[in-house]
Amino acid sequence: MNTHNQNLMNEYIESKETFKKIQEFTMKRLKELLVDEEHLFLAGMESRIKEEKSLEKKLELKGMKYKTLSDITDIFGARIITFYNDEIDLVASIIEKNFNIDFTNSIDKRKLYDVDRFGYMSLHYICSIPKSLYSDPAYPKLNDYKFEIQIRTALQHVWATIFHDTGYKTDVEVPKEYIRNLSRLAGMLEFADDEFRKIRDNIDEYRNKIKKLVSKGDFKDITLNIDSYKNYLELNPFDDLIKKIAKINNSEIEYSSLEPYYEILVDMNIKTLSELEKLRVDYSEDAYKLSLLQLKGTDLDIISNTVALQNLCIIYIVKKGRGEPELLNLYNHLYGEKPFHTTIVKKILEQAKGIASL
Amino acid sequence: MTVNIEKENENMIAHIEGRVDTTTAPDLEKTLDDNIEGIKNLTLDMSKLEYISSAGLRVVLKEQKYMSKIGKMTLTNVTDPVMEVLTITGFLSILDIK
Repeated sequence: MNTHNQNLMNEYIESKETFKKIQEFTMKRLKELLVDEEHLFLAGMESRIKEEKSLEKKLELKGMKYKTLSDITDIFGARIITFYNDEIDLVASIIEKNFNIDFTNSIDKRKLYDVDRFGYMSLHYICSIPKSLYSDPAYPKLNDYKFEIQIRTALQHVWATIFHDTGYKTDVEVPKEYIRNLSRLAGMLEFADDEFRKIRDNIDEYRNKIKKLVSKGDFKDITLNIDSYKNYLELNPFDDLIKKIAKINNSEIEYSSLEPYYEILVDMNIKTLSELEKLRVDYSEDAYKLSLLQLKGTDLDIISNTVALQNLCIIYIVKKGRGEPELLNLYNHLYGEKPFHTTIVKKILEQAKGIASL
Repeated sequence: MTVNIEKENENMIAHIEGRVDTTTAPDLEKTLDDNIEGIKNLTLDMSKLEYISSAGLRVVLKEQKYMSKIGKMTLTNVTDPVMEVLTITGFLSILDIK
């Protein structure tokens, strides 16, 4: 190793703690910015500090290109892996706002390819930490050293990893047909990345449309699914009923999620929100009467909000003449199969008979 | 009402006997609170519990909320009258009953 390269290696060894500090701060800050603040669901975040042997090899090949260690921009490298390709630009804009970017040396490989070429299309930013963001007198060069942040999708990551593993960078020449096949695959993955984004956009659009319709009380033709059901619950449709039931004994209401009832409603063959709304309107009075029969005369002055929907389901099942087996299914579905459910169901059926309109 | 406590490491079984109502619920609450430190699995054995009022339900719910943060709470051998109370108040959906 020549003196120039040896000097660079010495500086690298002396600066290792500084790079560790850069790594620690950068990864913590990226997590705060992307996950905690932007709520991005990422496929992964990874980082590494270049190993001594790897740097030696790099310097052997092109050591004269670098005057000082600050000229080597990949000693610390971070990688952010997104699920969707439009998140790359979002992540990039957040990094631009928070770190110093050396745009001259940064590469957007997505823009490098000709229209008839496919390949490794990630975005590489050469960054440094601005003093305004973080500095530490114990590490005077912390803000001088540059590092690389790569941003790519999960599919680009898979492709790049496999491409790298084929050893295309080694001395052994890989036959062109294999490289060509990898390029064909890159084209497919690029297409798949676009399709995944379109599917996500379509689903988001559908959800927003349903949300708007439900919030206006327009339930017509809206299929009952977990999304539409959650939107429906946001309207607190069972509040009037539970408050009426609570008045029987001036009870306190203990609130918990009504989402577990979704499966029950599906089992009950409720197919649309209109049907669910009809069930609520048509059977609220009998559901109240059932609670009146059960609670009146007791000293029970605390109830769960689930009673309203529970009683609506009971009344629906009984009115439809489905009786004991389906009531048993309701309890087993909600609370797991328990031997005592049979006794409960028999008792409830008996009580239901006490309601005049049934 | 009487409560007998059995403890082993992080497990505790509270055998509740008699009636838990406005008068006795504070005793149940105190006994559970005095013994719950360090417990991850709490079992309320209700085989000899004849009746539970709202005051008793509130104690059970309070313990359930506390235990759900650090471990779990299970009700076992629930008698028919108590089961009826849990059903008509809707608390079957909140409590873990074995």
